[in-house]
Amino acid sequence: MSGEPALMSLTAVAKAIAEKKASSREVTQSCLDRIAKWNPKLNAFMSIEADDALKAADAADAALAKGGPKGVLHGVPLAHKDMYYDKGKVVTCGSKIRKDFVAPTTSTALQRLKDAGTVRLGSLQMVEFAYGPTGHNPHYGAVRNPWNTDHITGGSSSGSGSAVAARLTFAALGSDTGGSIRMPAHFCGVTGLKTTVGRISRAGAMPLSWTLDTVGPLAQTVEDCALLMGLMAGADPEDPTASDFPVPNYMAATRQSIKGLKIGVPAAFYVDDLDAEVARVLDETLAVLKKEGAEIVKVELPDQRQLSAACQFVLATEAAALHKRWMIERPQDYGAQVLMRLQNGLAIPAVSYLEAIRWRGPALSAYLAAVEGTDAVIAPVAPMPAATIAESDVGNSPDAEAVIQRITRFTRPINYLGLPSLSIPSGFTKSGLPVGMQIIGRSFDEAMLVRIGAAFQRATDFHQKVPKLP
Amino acid sequence: MTRPTAKEIKAMSDVAGLPVDNDVAARIANSIGPAFEGFAPVAGTLPFDLEPATFLLVHMPKVTK
Repeated sequence: MSGEPALMSLTAVAKAIAEKKASSREVTQSCLDRIAKWNPKLNAFMSIEADDALKAADAADAALAKGGPKGVLHGVPLAHKDMYYDKGKVVTCGSKIRKDFVAPTTSTALQRLKDAGTVRLGSLQMVEFAYGPTGHNPHYGAVRNPWNTDHITGGSSSGSGSAVAARLTFAALGSDTGGSIRMPAHFCGVTGLKTTVGRISRAGAMPLSWTLDTVGPLAQTVEDCALLMGLMAGADPEDPTASDFPVPNYMAATRQSIKGLKIGVPAAFYVDDLDAEVARVLDETLAVLKKEGAEIVKVELPDQRQLSAACQFVLATEAAALHKRWMIERPQDYGAQVLMRLQNGLAIPAVSYLEAIRWRGPALSAYLAAVEGTDAVIAPVAPMPAATIAESDVGNSPDAEAVIQRITRFTRPINYLGLPSLSIPSGFTKSGLPVGMQIIGRSFDEAMLVRIGAAFQRATDFHQKVPKLP
Repeated sequence: MTRPTAKEIKAMSDVAGLPVDNDVAARIANSIGPAFEGFAPVAGTLPFDLEPATFLLVHMPKVTK
């Protein structure tokens, strides 16, 4: 085939392989070639398994020659955040503590992608134990933003954001507990879907907070995310928190018009203290959606600072509880920032944690009442584009938490409410850094989000921009 | 609700079995303090019979279209 296969979207490459217009080997080799060029500059991969990937690609090609495709992702090479258990493979969780941990099982989300025919390229870097929003990692080095390698990728799905943006993998699993899919998507200029709590099984995925953790994809396009969602969503006997609510046809939703939809824009909080270029991109995004037929309406949301504080109580306490044994036995093996944040959980009384848990229902009711009559809400993912790696390297300094709070300001309230949110590339700053907007929906209504996001991507080309090798 | 002091945090961490020194306790107090201030309007105001499971009642599928 002509052109560089690695530059295709997930949906397009899957179709090309199924129709035998491209072989899995050709496509896998194209990804490996880009990884060889880019990864030394980006540090996006935790492990690169070139030989095994090519063997698996050859097997996929042979199977296709004998019969039909195994599934809709037959022979498509992918890599994922290094926290998804893959039986027999080392899964570091970005940590020193688990640097030699061999996964005893395969995570349900990953298994469902394997069942659809994917090929493993390796695994992707991440923030230590997924507990940080910038992409720094004291054990394995910071992951770099392909649009400007002096800048952060965002975290904690740092390798996923960087690798998808540089077209080293067609898509990647991330996880979002406080914004960890949406921030790398925003900072790296890719599409990322934070799913509803309970929509995708978390079995075999490293936990950070059992109340807030969600599994979701990062990819070039909304259509790609919709395809992956359809494969991964649904009930799972291995995870009783995974909902058996029917999985809609997300791909069909991407083809629907948004004419007549009402999209809310918060009157405050999400539009306060924005960098000028983020404010400009928000205005331009609203103009596109309006042109596509949506009606833009202002919404007055309940105080989002309270939601953010509640999220912090839940996340810090549950993370500290999960890590307590290692905090006692191996404190020296944590990076300074992650240990600092885990220690924060010690300062939250049980009654405060439980109040935050009890308040979730009323808080969600109040939010839904405020957005009544709208189909979704749109807001920036963060008030600023990607900071430099140097200026955001706060470690465990006294103001570290304040920096973290500013970056995660617009993502945490959504995690607390358990809602889905789709981050879409929406523009660029004058210096060439991507800016993303998040479309926030109701529980289990990812179909509405991909409908709106796909309409936006039909009208724009920000998601098709590819960074140049520095 | 008031933010915990470094002294209180030191006592809490001792009880949790993860004692921290005075400097760390002061740093934690500084880090976590704003969350206590943010949650203050909610703390101590929730009705007696509000259960955590209320969230599931609101959260379970209500698709718009």
